[in-house]
Amino acid sequence: MKPGSPHKASRPEIIVCVGGGGVGKTTTSAALALSLARSGRRTLVVTIDPARRLADALDTSVGSQVQPVNLPGVEGRLFALMPEPREAMRLFTEYLCANEPEALQRLLGNRIYRVLEEAVPGIHELVCMTFVTRAAEELDLDTIVIDTAPSRYAIDFVTYPRRLGKLLGNRAIGWLSGLAGPDDAPRSRSSRWFAWGRRRAEQALAGVIGPGAVTDVAELFAAMALVRERFVDLSERASDLLLVKQTRYLLVTAPTGAASDNVRYLLTRLRKLKLHPVALIVNQGLDATAAWRPLLEPPEPLAPDLAKVLSQLEAERAARLRAADRVQATFARTHRRLPQIPLPYVEAAQPREVVLTLATALDEHLATVSAHASQGSGDPIEP
Amino acid sequence: MNRPPLTHDSHQTLHVRPLAPAVFVTGKGGVGKTTVAAGLAVAAAEQGMGSIFVEFGDSDAGEIALAGAHDNVRYERIRPAEALVQGATPMFRSAWVARGVLGNFAMRPLLRAAPAVREVAMLEAVRRLMEKNPGHRVVVDMPATGHSLSWFAVAGQGRDLLVRGPLYDLCDRLVRELIHPGAMSIVVVTLPEPLVLRETRELCMALLSQHQLPVDRLIVNSVPPALPPAALREARALAEGEGDLAAAAQALVDVLTVRGQTRDAVLDIISSSLGSKAPPQVLLPRAPEDPDATTVAGWLTKAEPR
Repeated sequence: MKPGSPHKASRPEIIVCVGGGGVGKTTTSAALALSLARSGRRTLVVTIDPARRLADALDTSVGSQVQPVNLPGVEGRLFALMPEPREAMRLFTEYLCANEPEALQRLLGNRIYRVLEEAVPGIHELVCMTFVTRAAEELDLDTIVIDTAPSRYAIDFVTYPRRLGKLLGNRAIGWLSGLAGPDDAPRSRSSRWFAWGRRRAEQALAGVIGPGAVTDVAELFAAMALVRERFVDLSERASDLLLVKQTRYLLVTAPTGAASDNVRYLLTRLRKLKLHPVALIVNQGLDATAAWRPLLEPPEPLAPDLAKVLSQLEAERAARLRAADRVQATFARTHRRLPQIPLPYVEAAQPREVVLTLATALDEHLATVSAHASQGSGDPIEP
Repeated sequence: MNRPPLTHDSHQTLHVRPLAPAVFVTGKGGVGKTTVAAGLAVAAAEQGMGSIFVEFGDSDAGEIALAGAHDNVRYERIRPAEALVQGATPMFRSAWVARGVLGNFAMRPLLRAAPAVREVAMLEAVRRLMEKNPGHRVVVDMPATGHSLSWFAVAGQGRDLLVRGPLYDLCDRLVRELIHPGAMSIVVVTLPEPLVLRETRELCMALLSQHQLPVDRLIVNSVPPALPPAALREARALAEGEGDLAAAAQALVDVLTVRGQTRDAVLDIISSSLGSKAPPQVLLPRAPEDPDATTVAGWLTKAEPR
C-alpha cells in the first residue's frame, strides 16, 4: 500500500470459479467480472487455464502483465491477467531470485528445473497465484475473479502454494540439497547414525535415478534453499488469499451428467478444505434467448425444410431444459441451502457476445455472489 | 492431400492406419472424451477383440459410461499411489522396501510436488497391462489436465535426464515398448468450436514436431447436423416480410447462420491448417442428450474404414 494513498486498506474480495471442463467456466468468470466492474467495483479476472479462451471472451491479448479491458460500462475498472506458462515461469524465477543473482543462474541452468518449468502440473497454478498475490497488493482492487483450470482436480490448486512451501520449509530440503555432497565430520554418536542413514538413503536414491541425477536434484535444492524464505513467504501469502473463510467459491456447471458429478466431487473437496461454496451457476439453464419460438405456431404452414429445422431446434431446446431442470432439482434436494443461478443458453458467433449476455443475466445475482455487492456500488463496507 | 472427414454416415474407403493395441484418448475437459473412450472400448469388444478400458485416478466417469454397455469390456482403474509402488517394486526388489522408500519423510513431499514421477508410474502400469494381455485393445481415458503433451513427453524426458540406473531403464522401456507410433495410437477428442479446435490443432502439431507422435484419429464430437440448404433461405424470406413472425424469423436466421458457420469453420480449421499432416477426422453428430457408449461405438465402427 502506497503511503498517503486515498484508497481503502482492506484486501480485495476473491471469487474462485470452479467446475469440470466444458461447463463455460471461463466465459462465466469473464461475465461475472464484467458485471462487477459495471456495478462500480475495480475488478481483476485471472485465468489459470493456460489457454486463450479468456482473451477471446474479452477481446484482449494474453499476457503475464495485468491488462485493462475496454468494454462498454466498465470505465477503466476491469482488468485481465492471463499468464502464458513459459513467460510466467521466467518472471516468477526472476522475482524469486531478485536478491540472489547466483541462485537465478543456478536455477536457470539446472536440468531438472528446466523440465519442471515445462511439464509439471501445479507449477503454473502456483506461479499464477503469486502473480495474483502481487496484483492484490499492488493494484487497488475491490474484487479478483479467478478462473481455474478445466478439470475437477483443479480445486487442488488452492493447496499447491502451501504444499510447495512446506516442501521447501521442511527438513527434507537440507537432506536433499546435501545429497552427493561431502560428508560432514560426525560429532556425536547420533549424528554418526544420521550420516550413516543419509549415505544409505543416498545410495538407494542413486541406485534408482542414477548418480548424475542425484547431483542435479541436490543442486536444484541447494539453489532453492537460497531463496527459500522468499518462496515460503510467497506461498504463504497465496494461501492466505485462497484458504480463508472470506474467499468465495462459486461452482459452475452445465446440464450434462459429467458436469453434475464434478460438482458433487467439488462440494466434497471444498468441505474437506473447510471452504464454503456461495452459489451454483447452472449454465444453459434458461431459454431466454430462444426468440424464434413464435415460428412454432405459424398462422399458415411453413415450408417443409423450415418446419424440419424448427422441430429439431425445439427438440434440442426441450432436452437441454429437461437436463437443466434435473440438475437443479437434484442439487435443490441434496444441497438445500446452496443458492442456484441459472444462466441462459446463448448461441452466438463471437465469444464476446456470449459474455455480454451472461453479464447482464448476472447483474441481478451479484448480491448472492459477492459479499460487497449488496452494499451498492463503488464503496465496499469493511467486513 | 486433403482427406474428407470420416462421418458416421459416410461409406468411403480411405487409407487410414488401423488403431494400435494401446489407444490413448486425450482432449480438454468437457469434450466428451470419456464417452468416446468407452465407445472405442465397446467397439473393439463388438469386433471380438479382448478389450480393456483404463481409467486413471479416482474418477468414476468411465465406470459410469461403461455401465450397461458390452459385457466383454474389462474395466481397470489405475491409482497413482498403487502404480508408484508397483513400478518401484522391481527397483527395490521388494514391495515392502519400495513402500518404505516412497513413504520416506523426504520422498513423500518431493513425489507429491513432482507429479511427473506419478505419470511415469501410471504409464508403466499401462505397459504392464499390455504385456500381460497380448492381442488386447487397451483404451486409456487420459486425465483432462490440459497437460496431455507432458504425459507423452515424460518418459523421453526422464530418459534424457537420467544417464543410467533402473529408472532410466524404465523410461527407456516405456519409450521403446509403449510411447511410439507402432505400439500406441493417440486419439484426440475435440469440439466443433473454433477456439477448442485451434487448441487441438496446436496439440496435434506439437505432438508431431516435438515428439514425432502422429495423432491417429481426430474425433470431433457433437457436430451440428448439416442444415437443409433451403431452410436458411426460407427463414430469410420470412424475416424480410411484415408481421409478427418477422422478428422470430430473424432470430432463427441468426441461429442458423451461427450453426452453418460453426460447421464450416470445423472443416476449415482442421484441413486448411494441418494440410497433409491432418489426422484422419471422425465427425460424431450432436445428440440432444448425452449418448451412451454403445451408441458412440456404433458411430465409430461405421466411420472406421474396413
